Amino acid sequence: MNSPIVKRRSFLTGTGALAALAILTACGNKPDVESTGSTSPVRGGALTFLIQGFDAGWISSKTSISSYEGNLWGHLTDKLVYVNEKGDVNPWIAESWDENSDATEFVLHLKKGVTFSDGTAVDAKAVVENINAWAVGDADRGIAKVGLFPSASFESAKATDAATVKVRFSSSTLGFIATLGYHGCILLAPATLKSSTEEQADLAKNIGSGPFMLKSWQQGESYVLQRREDYAWGPKALGYSGPAYLDTLTYKVVRDASVRTSTVLSGQADVSFNVEPQEIDSLISQGFSVSTPRYLGFVDGFQVNTQTFPTNQASVRQALQHGIDRQEILSTIYTQDWQAASTFIQGTVPEAGDFADHFNFDLKKATDGLEKDGWTLESDGFRHKDGKLLEITIAANPYVPSDKAMDELIAQQLQRVGIKLNLKVIDVANYSAWQNNEPPLLHTSRSFVDVGTVAGILTNRNGGEDWFKLGDSDEKLNKLSDQIAQAKNRKDRAKVANELQKYVLDQAYFIPLVQLVQRLYLSSPKVQGIQYNGLAYANFYTAWVTQ
Amino acid sequence: MGYTVSVRLSGYRNLVLSRLGQGVLVIFLAYVLSFIVVSVLPGDAITNALHDPQSGLSEEDIARIVAFYGLDKPVLIQLLLALGRFVTGDLGISLQSGLPVTDLVFDALPSTTFLALTALILALVLAVAIAVGVHLLPSGAAGILRSVPSFFLSVPNFVIGLVLISVFGFTLHTFTITEPNAPVATFFAALTLAIPVSAPLAEVLISSLDVEARQDYALVARSRGLSRVNVFAQHLLKPSALPSVTMVALLIGELLGGAVITETIFGRNGVGTLVQRSVGAGDQPVLLAVVVLSAVVFVLVNLIADLSVPLLDPRTSVTKKKKAVVS
Repeated sequence: MNSPIVKRRSFLTGTGALAALAILTACGNKPDVESTGSTSPVRGGALTFLIQGFDAGWISSKTSISSYEGNLWGHLTDKLVYVNEKGDVNPWIAESWDENSDATEFVLHLKKGVTFSDGTAVDAKAVVENINAWAVGDADRGIAKVGLFPSASFESAKATDAATVKVRFSSSTLGFIATLGYHGCILLAPATLKSSTEEQADLAKNIGSGPFMLKSWQQGESYVLQRREDYAWGPKALGYSGPAYLDTLTYKVVRDASVRTSTVLSGQADVSFNVEPQEIDSLISQGFSVSTPRYLGFVDGFQVNTQTFPTNQASVRQALQHGIDRQEILSTIYTQDWQAASTFIQGTVPEAGDFADHFNFDLKKATDGLEKDGWTLESDGFRHKDGKLLEITIAANPYVPSDKAMDELIAQQLQRVGIKLNLKVIDVANYSAWQNNEPPLLHTSRSFVDVGTVAGILTNRNGGEDWFKLGDSDEKLNKLSDQIAQAKNRKDRAKVANELQKYVLDQAYFIPLVQLVQRLYLSSPKVQGIQYNGLAYANFYTAWVTQ
Repeated sequence: MGYTVSVRLSGYRNLVLSRLGQGVLVIFLAYVLSFIVVSVLPGDAITNALHDPQSGLSEEDIARIVAFYGLDKPVLIQLLLALGRFVTGDLGISLQSGLPVTDLVFDALPSTTFLALTALILALVLAVAIAVGVHLLPSGAAGILRSVPSFFLSVPNFVIGLVLISVFGFTLHTFTITEPNAPVATFFAALTLAIPVSAPLAEVLISSLDVEARQDYALVARSRGLSRVNVFAQHLLKPSALPSVTMVALLIGELLGGAVITETIFGRNGVGTLVQRSVGAGDQPVLLAVVVLSAVVFVLVNLIADLSVPLLDPRTSVTKKKKAVVS
């Protein structure tokens, strides 16, 4: 009889290999590449976007930040500000804003005449209700707050007239305005916010003010959005503010990556989410485009647990920092679309410095430090100290598809240093348990829109996440974090942010690997005008399809 | 004679009742067992979602939401609460999507039922065609045909699916992936599922045909001058079909299992993909509902098979005692 277990396992590995077969067969009919000459937008047309699933559902407080559901939320809803791919904050539903000198009080001036698709106004009252939902949530109704919102210092939001909102914080909160452009901060109709989680789970009951509205949906299968004809409030930064060009935008769930890719290649769909890095060159040579937008946030790298063996030893941390050849990683695993990390935050963040020399590849430095610290190379090819083997177990981040291949290469590189790296593969369901284990090295994938977030993450101060398990034991890190959190203007803050980056890299608290591309888009040459925001989401509001 | 019939009837009624009782017990045990297994696995749908490194929520934020869903209670209490709801027909809310489990299951069920039935019919046609071919074709061709079931078994069904999609979907444009429920797309998905399922069925048919063909009555029929085709159709086919009835019942499990892969590849939303995503997320209420549903289907199909065999074949268990007295 069949062995379903073997079948399912080989299914996972086999689909990758078979992707090649599927692509080869599909190459037979190339799309009409010549027709892409048109550069002015064409109104009308339908676009089909293939995605591996919308499994987490439509309770916005849970899924608006998701790599998957986030795509659809971005078309149903608007935000107060628009953050572009360079991290610039631009007006959107908030036409302008004022802040006081110590960044504790903000006044938002809203665009007039904006309505949700149920006809109710996007006015100051509605915005206040949304801000409260982001800042506080309603845990007793099962509704989470927005994780990145500066809740710790949030005091109040008040409507001073129909189009003005005043927001107060107990201490300086420079990141507030930028956070309004974060994908968690989507504007929903007050009726939606008031409804129970069960009602919010029904996508049709989620009312936004975005350029598209829901036409029909079939859970787990297809989601059809249609243009809102009266939409006239697109962000100026996109260069267009009228109704979307597309008649409909349809999301279809196709779970298998190779089938998704081949479906776009065969012309049966227009855009597909997430392709394997190694397929990119071949896809481009066939006339298709693959976009690899980088989001604002942390780079792909390891946050280091300073309290557990063996990363509690400075010599081991330094050996990791200098024993990894990032150039080899880039040229082996990735295409030229990926960029080297210059610090532990993405190069698109305005405050990112170029501190590559603080974590340069230097085999001698890595091994000398270990040698000096008493880690001696033994016959098994690895270092030992006090009878203990220098080994670390890491797990690839299941949210970042290319991590597994990268980890395999890093294991080979660290073998040259004498460090034994054990690799684990963990799925999304079990990853939180892995994180809770507090392993020595943890792969990071985290976006943010404002560098102030960094201050609230690294230590345990202000309810921080204590990434390096230092608690508040590192005086210098505390001081730098506090200075960033309390900064009253962006120039001073940028200076401290630079200090902080150098310090964290020098202490090897964070080991950067490569700038992170977590969302990849394959699109047919018929599709024009897609734009990407600072969180690397594709925006089809300004897109059109040539015939 | 009247006595015999009433003994057979009461015997049959007892059989029905005991099988029904066993069925209910199986469903109950399946529920409890899967509840325990799912509870032992690390994480649940809520905790997993909130622990996404993107979410940036503190442990305290997460704990409050988890408490809202009652997931902080001891497993035994959770089991009793869930059982209480289950008995009244309330399957609860999906922890992953927040939608009622009943809606999710009934959304997925028609697509899978249609796929599985089509696949079953295709598998039966394939199996019968192979078995008939083996028995009626000249020995050379029959020998090759005899190895077809093992070949069918050895090709994983995702390979069959991807090849069918590449050739018929992307090259010949017979169907489109974006319309997975269209009849032609369903046919190819069903074929993917049917090929491996037809193999054991064909094996059983071939071997029982082999057995029946060696029986005396078959020789007698041949000696009466009946052609091979006539012997096959009039004498061999019916008795050989009996083991296949039991086999079909067992293969329902294969069809449900295979649906996970087939639906994934063909982009269909069905019970298989529902299982896949709720296992991945630890969505306990949905998983339990699907386990119970599968148990019900399995129990029902096997019940029908068990109960129909004695009706088709007078030699089987219920009447044995009576026969012993007579002889």
